[in-house]
Amino acid sequence: MSVKVDPKLMKDLEHFGLKDVNKCFQCGNCTAICPLSTPENSFPRRFMRYLQLGLTDKILKSPEPWLCYYCGDCSTQCPREAEPGEAMMVLRRYLTSRYDWTGFSRKFYTSERFEIVAVAIVGILVGLALWLFRGSNPNMEHAALNSVWPAPAIEIADLVMAAILTFFLLSNTYRCAKFIMGDLLYRIPPAIYIKKAWELVVHFATQKRFGECTDKMQWFVHLLIMTGYSTVFLLVAVFLAGGLHVIGLYWDQLAFQRDVEYAIWHPIRLLGYYATAALLYGTTYAIIGRLKKSKAPYKNSHGTDWMFLILLELTTLTGIFIHFARIVDLPMTTYVLYVVHLMVAVPMLVLEVPFAKWAHLAFRPVVVFLTQVKEEYFKEQKMLA
Amino acid sequence: MEKKTAVYVCSGCGIGASLNIDPLMSISKEDYSVPVCKSHECLCSREGAAMIKEDISNEGVNTLVIAACSPRVMYDVFNFENCIVDRVNLREQVAWCQKPGEEDTQMMAEDYLRMALAKVEAMELPVPFKPEQEISRDILVVGGGLAGMTAAMEASKAGYGAILVEKEPELGGFQKKVGQIATFPYKDLKDNRIISDLVKAVTSNPKIKVYTGAAVEKTVGGPGIFEISIKQNGSLAEHRCGAIVMAAGWQPYDPGKLDKKLGFGLSPDVITNAMFEEMSFGGNVTRPSDGKPVARVAFLQCAGSRDPKHLPYCSTVCCTTSLKQAVRIKGQNPDSEVYVVYKEMRTPGQAEDLYRKAQESGVLFIRCQDPEVKAEGGRPAVEAADELSGETILLGNLDLVVLATGMVPATAFGPDIGKELLKAADEEKKEEDLDVPLDIIRRSKILNLDYRQGPEMPALRYDFPDSHFICFPYETRRTGIYAAGCVHRPMGIGSTLEDAAGATMKAIQCIELTSRGAAVHPRAGDMSYPEFAMQRCTQCKRCTVECPFGAINEDEKANPLPQPTRCRRCGVCMGACPERIISFKNYSVAMIGSMVKAINVPEEDEEKPRILVLACENDAYAALDMAGIHRMTHNPWVRVIPLRCLGSMNLVWIADSLSKGIDGVLLLGCQHGDDYQCHFIKGSELASIRLSKVSETLNRLALESDRVRFETVSIIDYPKLPGLLDEFAEKLVEIGPNPFKGW
Repeated sequence: MSVKVDPKLMKDLEHFGLKDVNKCFQCGNCTAICPLSTPENSFPRRFMRYLQLGLTDKILKSPEPWLCYYCGDCSTQCPREAEPGEAMMVLRRYLTSRYDWTGFSRKFYTSERFEIVAVAIVGILVGLALWLFRGSNPNMEHAALNSVWPAPAIEIADLVMAAILTFFLLSNTYRCAKFIMGDLLYRIPPAIYIKKAWELVVHFATQKRFGECTDKMQWFVHLLIMTGYSTVFLLVAVFLAGGLHVIGLYWDQLAFQRDVEYAIWHPIRLLGYYATAALLYGTTYAIIGRLKKSKAPYKNSHGTDWMFLILLELTTLTGIFIHFARIVDLPMTTYVLYVVHLMVAVPMLVLEVPFAKWAHLAFRPVVVFLTQVKEEYFKEQKMLA
Repeated sequence: MEKKTAVYVCSGCGIGASLNIDPLMSISKEDYSVPVCKSHECLCSREGAAMIKEDISNEGVNTLVIAACSPRVMYDVFNFENCIVDRVNLREQVAWCQKPGEEDTQMMAEDYLRMALAKVEAMELPVPFKPEQEISRDILVVGGGLAGMTAAMEASKAGYGAILVEKEPELGGFQKKVGQIATFPYKDLKDNRIISDLVKAVTSNPKIKVYTGAAVEKTVGGPGIFEISIKQNGSLAEHRCGAIVMAAGWQPYDPGKLDKKLGFGLSPDVITNAMFEEMSFGGNVTRPSDGKPVARVAFLQCAGSRDPKHLPYCSTVCCTTSLKQAVRIKGQNPDSEVYVVYKEMRTPGQAEDLYRKAQESGVLFIRCQDPEVKAEGGRPAVEAADELSGETILLGNLDLVVLATGMVPATAFGPDIGKELLKAADEEKKEEDLDVPLDIIRRSKILNLDYRQGPEMPALRYDFPDSHFICFPYETRRTGIYAAGCVHRPMGIGSTLEDAAGATMKAIQCIELTSRGAAVHPRAGDMSYPEFAMQRCTQCKRCTVECPFGAINEDEKANPLPQPTRCRRCGVCMGACPERIISFKNYSVAMIGSMVKAINVPEEDEEKPRILVLACENDAYAALDMAGIHRMTHNPWVRVIPLRCLGSMNLVWIADSLSKGIDGVLLLGCQHGDDYQCHFIKGSELASIRLSKVSETLNRLALESDRVRFETVSIIDYPKLPGLLDEFAEKLVEIGPNPFKGW
């Protein structure tokens, strides 16, 4: 059965940042250097060919782009400057847009104007909401956030937002799994899924596959951003009101946004410091790297890459400023910074997590997990046979 | 010339340390009564050379035996005008390859000296050949395409007249039909102005006489004295010229012969690369079927090329041409889809840059060994297994499919004369004719040579009239006729310009050397030429059949008619002649025979066998020198005689050696066959054919045929030589001594 060639795919992918794939003459230097490549699976060379021929179906069904962490070795080795590493990045953007059933992601990726307007609208809406639902009697003598926006109220809003995000993210992740697994998704017995579930946790927490790449700095920075972000997520989603206040769980000693100043060794404060430092270092490193184009993964930056880093950096910086404004007890400054902080953080979460770059926090570990499930399944099938 | 001989022995470079010089002197003085015998510790020094020169002017010596280093070195120092000179290779082939101070070593040196003295005895000073007719300095150029016009221009720039013959009514050749070209530096396409500029330059050049719509009716004679009859509009023009550049060009491979799978004839929109050029000359590329613009085009490379059933070779330009045409379509419509389906992309030199340009402009390359053209819904489609993704892909709804067909040289058309000869030969003759493999010579009506061996250039392979392309670029196998451009081998514009200039240079060299009576490459400057003692000729035709260069014509009675200006002085005729009537002034059957006789063969009880090595001086002799230079010790029983070419080996020498008591004869020649390395094309092959008949002679002498062996060596084989000689010597010991010793 012969497949139809579609040279228009490359044209379409130019919006996702595709540039030099047509320069590839399939020498395979990228495959030779890539730790992901196996004798059976010539990666990333084969995907360069899929791109050139426009074999969309093949691409959609492939888990490989997600297994790549973009260490950039292939791009450095490429004698034709065809940028295979960036091509895999483009594939991840493209796949994210294809997994998304709402069509929002595609617009977000293919139009910078749409991206900026969407972020601005969400930011303004958050600002407006905070203005409208502010406390009637704010403490203007001391910096006390709970007097303006009480933690339980914020947490409710937070959980509502989380529920919506999760819905979109999970539905897109399901589509991702369906594309990659096809009929196998249900054919494989649940026992295997359960058996391999631990891998999902391990890969999420350690990014160990990235650690196999030659440039350990990239793995380290990625790990910092990932753990910093996860820590903050934990603090905000779980401890904002000192536990899940809404469902009756409450332990004030471990609440996040408290007006009292915790001692320096307090676990919440220490976690906050770790997350802030990790995010600040990782994000700043990445921004400087992208500005200087210091290494292969930083050479090509799509609009969404910038938006992601800028929002994350601004969220981190405003978080730090709020912390110090509280310590020196400047009430008005604290409140204004808090508004700005949320005007940045919320669009980042709402737009990036289900529809853009942040989505890979779900797709990548899930795909790694699914490929292992598939491998295990085939191994068992073989043994049975 | 009254000979007065002098012997000079050098004791430098280790010769003195290895050999006792005095006995050498006394052999010369006492056995050969040489009046002047001197030794010197550095004969090639200014003083050494001055000593020889002094003897020439004061003593009147004119026959010099210089026993020193190899004749392959210091030839400029030991070059004395009007003197017969022979070099005894005491350094590389005695002192440096034998154990110093041993009896065997001394015996070897003494034998070599005796051989040289016997040789100069038989040698005469060559007298250059002067034809009766006046030598012409004009060059005939056949073919008025890019190569031919370039050759004519190059000749005129160097001060030589040119006669340009073109069969079409206009000059220009294939390139006239080409609108845009891709050539160095291959960054972009250029409008083709080369041809129009050249036509202007050629037609306005007073040194170039142009005949268009004309053909060479007949070519008689040889270098320097070719008599050309040119037929134009029914009238004949006669010219004499000194050399010929044959630039007869090429034809595209007939697409009608292609495999059905490639779809030629399936639709008018399946065309060839040559048709593409003609169709798009000066305008846009459109669909041949309905003139609509093209948006989806596939190029299929190697259509019939590199295919044993069609053209087994690569035409080198089709890939670049398809790239050019692909870039053209992309330039015409950047949104068009252009596919190039290839086996291997071959972009020689910097044409790689054009590949990059095509790739970056969006041309898609698909590697597939056997694509298939189909008709789908009335439009051509191509199905191809893409090796790089492992998928079978379909390129449907194509506007144009271009088949990249290869080049066939103009010499590939017409019946093969060899087959005619075989047919004509009757039973008794057949056996004789089959001994020497026949060249492929087709009646392609380009030169119409009046040569005994056939009217056109012999083909080397695939009907290209080439010679050994590394050793002899621009050469054909007919002296004074040089092929240029695509008739020579497939090539692009850049190579054609170079090839035409190179062929013209060879033609000029040929004219100059011929006018001095000298040979051309590879024995450039050799003044000797073969002379025939016709009263003893038996009309056996061996010489006329075997000459690798067709230098000997034949009259009706089968008498050889040598054409000395065509001769390359290899001596193949001399080796072939059973009556030994062919000799050069300084190279003859008798001369080598007396060298063999001069070898001192010890009695059987001395247990010192003797091996005669007849070595081709172009490679095997040089390899022996190389072994010496690397101080590789070899067998002390060998006595080496260099031959101009092993093809000049006459069987009588083998009979002479063996009847004299020499234990074995080793022939060292060049590789022959498809990848031949013989400087004279067929010399070593002919030697091995002759040798196959030697067993008869040996049986007559009641000797074992193992005593004669043929080995092929190239210069890089020198490390193998000592082992090869030892192994042969052991074999001879095994056979036992030659019973003819002491007879």
